Amino acid sequence: MLNRFIRWIQRYKGWFGGGAVICISLGLYTGLFASPPDYYQGELVRIMYVHVPLAHTSTLAYSVLFFGSIWYLWKRDPLVDNACQASAGICALFTALALITGSIWAKPTWNTWWTWDPRLVSFSVLLLILGGYLMLRKLVDDRERSGRYAAILAIVGGIDLPIIKFSVEWWRTLHQPMSFSTRGVAISDDILLPLTLMSLGAWLLFAYMVMVRTQVLYLTDLLNAKKGRLFSQTHFSQTSL
Amino acid sequence: MPTKNKKVAIIVSILLIAGSLGYLAFGNFGENIVYFVTPSEVKAFTPEAYAKKVRVGGMVVKGSLETQPDPVGLTFELTDGAATIPVAFQGIPPDLFKEGQGAVVEGQWKDGHTFRSTMIMAKHSEDYMPMELKRAGVELPKKDFMKTLSP
Amino acid sequence: MTGFYARWAIMVGGIILLAMMTFQQYQRDLSTISLATVLNSPTTSEHVRIQGMVKSGTLTGAIEEGQATFELIDGPTTLPVEYAGPPLENIRELKTMVLIGHLHHETKTFKAEDTALINNFGFVAAAYLVTVITLCWAMFAMSQRVMVLFKEIKDEKLYEPEHEPLANKE
Repeated sequence: MLNRFIRWIQRYKGWFGGGAVICISLGLYTGLFASPPDYYQGELVRIMYVHVPLAHTSTLAYSVLFFGSIWYLWKRDPLVDNACQASAGICALFTALALITGSIWAKPTWNTWWTWDPRLVSFSVLLLILGGYLMLRKLVDDRERSGRYAAILAIVGGIDLPIIKFSVEWWRTLHQPMSFSTRGVAISDDILLPLTLMSLGAWLLFAYMVMVRTQVLYLTDLLNAKKGRLFSQTHFSQTSL
Repeated sequence: MPTKNKKVAIIVSILLIAGSLGYLAFGNFGENIVYFVTPSEVKAFTPEAYAKKVRVGGMVVKGSLETQPDPVGLTFELTDGAATIPVAFQGIPPDLFKEGQGAVVEGQWKDGHTFRSTMIMAKHSEDYMPMELKRAGVELPKKDFMKTLSP
Repeated sequence: MTGFYARWAIMVGGIILLAMMTFQQYQRDLSTISLATVLNSPTTSEHVRIQGMVKSGTLTGAIEEGQATFELIDGPTTLPVEYAGPPLENIRELKTMVLIGHLHHETKTFKAEDTALINNFGFVAAAYLVTVITLCWAMFAMSQRVMVLFKEIKDEKLYEPEHEPLANKE
């Protein structure tokens, strides 16, 4: 008898994965073939179709981690803890990729791989916070304490999210301001289409990856519990969802 | 992993997190963060600041760009709307550097009347469209460039 | 289990196919030839794409109206260019550009009809490859781990409720 939520994931995760594959395939096709180059950057605008979805999906992933951590501290449900840890891992992956693709985009456009711009710094701080979070998870043996500390850290680290979002509006930066804002949408339809498809694909992909990673963490815990290797077994006797 | 190493690792990870969060809260990341200064602020420099390496951001004034063939270099003017400074650079500028667009230059306000730049970074705006639309005169809603220089 | 690996094989195959298609199309439509090749070519009327830097101090003409003359340099080679076409949005001295047109053999000048920005394939390809390869690898590793774990749990007979610490109290 597995947890109901894990069984639900096993049944429906394919829809998310399949949706992601379809959206990303269409996005890659329109992004690489069926969209025009930009008037000012030329073909380089195509890097935006991977960089921007990665970047805002990583902030979405951190939001999931943030609210999940609050939920965990409130209900102390070990499955929520697993989902938080999964979200943090995927978020770290997306953040690192967003930084790398951003760097690749910055060299031919801005003329530098890296600069101490507020957006770049605040985004790198997110990666540091996640690195610390994941290290903490690995190093604290007691499951309950590890979950509690990590949740507190994730909630405190949440102040970085609004800083990242508004860094390009509040301060002087080299990074361009937001293309979607109260001013309107500053992207023409031809270029918006691959961006939308890739964004949708990135969200679905994130959902799929979090589901799979949650399964991995839950099933590993389950096996450890069975083999008597769990450090805080009493904690694990309570379940919900 | 031995317990002692683990404790050290935990302390390191906590320091890492506390350090990065502290940097966010108390470093120069607060209200007074300055990635670049504006031409107006450069003009107000005291002679002590002349030798300091700074970043200046502004818009490249239309019609001010002149190139020199030997040694390869260029001069142009950078403005923030209120003040304009002349900039000199040796070398080949980045391809996206353009009159009427933003640029961030690194260098020194050496002798108090010309900015000697050692590096030019091109700042591009947040609007994206194909060449056909640009030639048709389409303007997309973007942030006024001078406003991106403040505060 | 075979289904799992088959799905992944199809996906990886699709990605490789897309990469090859992209490479081929860009090679055909967007690649440029060097100035020296153009100068030494025997044919005159053929349309080609050339890439070079606009030489300092040579750009003259009514750029806004789409008329300009300048010299293009590429290493040691210099080529005079006469441009007549759409208004030049992006040209300036000391900038590397792509010009589309043909060589006029008698005068050894290049008659350009349109311009394009340099294509920077390397950067675009690097960004896509890093992302796609990393994400695929991460997803493959995770999915495979889930499969192995499910199998292990089955072998451990964790489905029996009396041994199950995480039994659902439905």
